[in-house]
Amino acid sequence: MNQLELEAKVLSVLNSVLHLDLQSGCRPSRQDLPNWDSLKHIEIIFGLEEELGLEFTEDELAGMDSLEKIMAAAQGKYAA
Amino acid sequence: MRHSISVEGFAFRLRPIADDDAAFVLQLRSDSNLNEFLHPSSGRLADQLDWFQAYYQRPGDYYFVLERQSTSEREGLVAIYDIDEHQGIGEWGRWILRPGSLGAVECAWLIYTAAFGEIGLTELYCRTVADNRSVVSFHESCGLGAGKRLKGHFTLGSRVFDAIEHRIDRALWAERSPRLKKLAQITARKIRG
Repeated sequence: MNQLELEAKVLSVLNSVLHLDLQSGCRPSRQDLPNWDSLKHIEIIFGLEEELGLEFTEDELAGMDSLEKIMAAAQGKYAA
Repeated sequence: MRHSISVEGFAFRLRPIADDDAAFVLQLRSDSNLNEFLHPSSGRLADQLDWFQAYYQRPGDYYFVLERQSTSEREGLVAIYDIDEHQGIGEWGRWILRPGSLGAVECAWLIYTAAFGEIGLTELYCRTVADNRSVVSFHESCGLGAGKRLKGHFTLGSRVFDAIEHRIDRALWAERSPRLKKLAQITARKIRG
């Protein structure tokens, strides 16, 4: 999966859970989006695992608080 | 007040707070990432222990520690207080979790379970500083609606804030509980590995 495909899948999950219309190129983060709360964070992570076919560890979950960090975590998994 | 209520969840439990937890309370309340919307405190252990002594004597006040079942490691604090015994209504709050904790959903599920189960309340409300938008959002995500704004409800130091009040009764809890429980369970599976 290339970078653009990964970004599209992550944005799709974020948009679905947060009811947003984030477009390619934006850089959403939990800090900037108050409705990315603790409950939505769980829904986002499990949505990502399903969409990307990956499993993240507990230690990874808390740090996946922005598009960039999510993509870095996913790319790390694919590369491993 | 001194109570003996413990509630087991899926990866966490609530247990009564005790003097041994005073340093943990101070640690959380002095964390600049967590204390923006808390009443200022001295940060002194002796003052926290004095506060506990007064709390132990106060009826209708249930203060809990959220801890991991597997390790008993403390992850947060939460309480139910200001209980109107005649109407069976209480407030929950003093909610604070260590940074990075995945215990928020289960903690909410546990405190509602304690309120409507062990304590026997019929309705529970929570007042959040309106500017604390991620916590306001959390309550909305739990299915409690947009809440009611209480103008100038909180005075924290020299600052005055509106509150957003979310309420839930037994009937709404019966509707909302399954989703929270499911999210807590799948999070617990992740935590337990």
